Amino acid sequence: MYHRMAVAREIEHVMFKHTREQRFSGWWHPGEGQEAAGIGATAAMRTDDFLFYQGRGTSWAIGKGMAPGPIFGDLLGKVTGATKGKGGGVPHWADRSIGIMGEGATLGSVYPLAAGAALAAKMRKTSQVALANFGDGTAARGTFHETMVHAAAWKLPLVYFCENNGYLVGTKLRSVCPTENIADFAAGYHIPGVIVDGQDALAVYDASATAFERARDGGGPTLIEAKVVRRHGHWAGDPQLYRDTDTELRNYRDPLDVLRASMEPAAADALDAKAMAEVRGAYEAAIAAPEPEESVIWQYLYYEN
Amino acid sequence: MKTEEKQDPGSQLIGYNAAMGQALVEEMRRDDRVFVLGQGVATGGWFGTEKGLAAEFGAERVLDTNISEAFQAGVVAGAAIAGMKPVVNMGFGDFALIAGDEIFHKLAKWRYMHGDNFPMTAVVIFPIGAMGGAGPEHSACSEVLGMHYPGLKVVVPSTAADAKGLMRAALREPNPVIFNSSQSLGWTKGQVPMDTDFIVPIGQAAIRRTGNSGSVITYGSMAPRCLEAAALLANEGIDLEVIDLRSLVPLDWNTVLTSVRRTHRGLVVHEAVRTAGAGAEIAARIQEEAFFDLEAPILRLGAKDVPLPQNARLEALCIPSVTQIAAEARRLVTL
Repeated sequence: MYHRMAVAREIEHVMFKHTREQRFSGWWHPGEGQEAAGIGATAAMRTDDFLFYQGRGTSWAIGKGMAPGPIFGDLLGKVTGATKGKGGGVPHWADRSIGIMGEGATLGSVYPLAAGAALAAKMRKTSQVALANFGDGTAARGTFHETMVHAAAWKLPLVYFCENNGYLVGTKLRSVCPTENIADFAAGYHIPGVIVDGQDALAVYDASATAFERARDGGGPTLIEAKVVRRHGHWAGDPQLYRDTDTELRNYRDPLDVLRASMEPAAADALDAKAMAEVRGAYEAAIAAPEPEESVIWQYLYYEN
Repeated sequence: MKTEEKQDPGSQLIGYNAAMGQALVEEMRRDDRVFVLGQGVATGGWFGTEKGLAAEFGAERVLDTNISEAFQAGVVAGAAIAGMKPVVNMGFGDFALIAGDEIFHKLAKWRYMHGDNFPMTAVVIFPIGAMGGAGPEHSACSEVLGMHYPGLKVVVPSTAADAKGLMRAALREPNPVIFNSSQSLGWTKGQVPMDTDFIVPIGQAAIRRTGNSGSVITYGSMAPRCLEAAALLANEGIDLEVIDLRSLVPLDWNTVLTSVRRTHRGLVVHEAVRTAGAGAEIAARIQEEAFFDLEAPILRLGAKDVPLPQNARLEALCIPSVTQIAAEARRLVTL
């Protein structure tokens, strides 16, 4: 887990620098500070479990087994990208062979899709589980409710995983949410609502493993809420005038430091160095990779046999 | 040992909605990835399309949902991405707009935006059009939306045979299909081939009537009305060709353009409101590609640009009638 988290963090560093140097035309949404959520949850998933993720950072895709190469290739719009050159910041990484199904960029739109994959798993009796990852700002979506009503009634193998960083872009969640926690919603569906320290990858792993086991055993869905900290703005360059970052981040606990505390420092250092080399290499390769041909515009609009 | 000869199973007279259901049953028997969900489908569906499905395939493959269109279409998208072949009946095409994100973003764009290439079968049934007083939120023809969001295929059958053949084609199609079923045709009957491989290929128009005076391009509920109008005009020496498009995406431009180039005149008729309906695209494309073969402007006849009133008498006044179609066709040949 630490290695994957270090990779996700290093990608953050590279993207931070990249966007600062204005070589980037895309819509990058930094995920620094929230890595333990995606890394901890995906560590509890089987390779063939279905992941539908949201668009902040890279930890979900990295955690599920995607290499940095197709991620950078996609962010920079190169042919080496997971989308083969169509990308540009908002992630649409998918690799169905390792259960990375994709992302919905109309935020909070993957609830019913993940339920559809969960339904497919249930009908085929494959014991696969689907995870819908989302931010606190989209827990108010109608499809959050529509989907969970059915998923709970049908006992679908579905896990809702909320990363609650307290902000909907620049709006404070507490100004638009009637409950203290998103996990409180679970009671209405008669499913477990679990709150977990999102800065602690091991705690996230434990909560996720329990939810996955329950889903695989036919027990139905779980709603997990990871309390996380968004270290930077909503998008790269966001001045965050809506937020007193000095006060809010005074007691900030970095998820890498939290996990590091349970490791030998030398072992962690070695993983940091390995991650840095991998990520830098992948970045340079993406910079050097060619732009797509214009014909990619028509690619996969319909199935190509 | 006697060899069994395959007998032509012939055809049966059945209804349009029932014919859709017949294709569903046959494909569900053939392929266990096919399943159906929607409001009331486990009890046969609101309009009889899903009659008998639950009895044969059980609640696991015929799933009733709450009134939750976005969920219904979204779960279809997710199941299709995961390799199933889901079918959802939206109840009324109007309700499909509630699931705009799931249909027009997720189903239409998922593979494209992820740079992923895999067969993705999903059928979304939009029951469209007036059915006699269903009101402004239960009667619209929204088929043009499928044309405007690339990534979807769009069909609109006008006969019971086509309803069955296009449904089977949709279930064997590796792309999501918006299946527009015309509400006013739901209980009309026609001869339907019983061969379990009978298919109407998506993207193939049918020339329902050949003629030389002008080409009427239509689909869905207006196809029978156009044929009736053409029969009236035949008594006046006006000999119309009537093309039933059957599919809007892909659209059989070759059949349309060949016909118009020969008759030199074209009239597009649909039940959807006239402004920015499918007819606008068809007329524009014909004049772009066959302008110098035309003797007259391409005319369009569609519903009045209003939400359909619930009063059935007023509703009928909004939609092209046989008389109006005949009048417009008369105008076309004298221009």
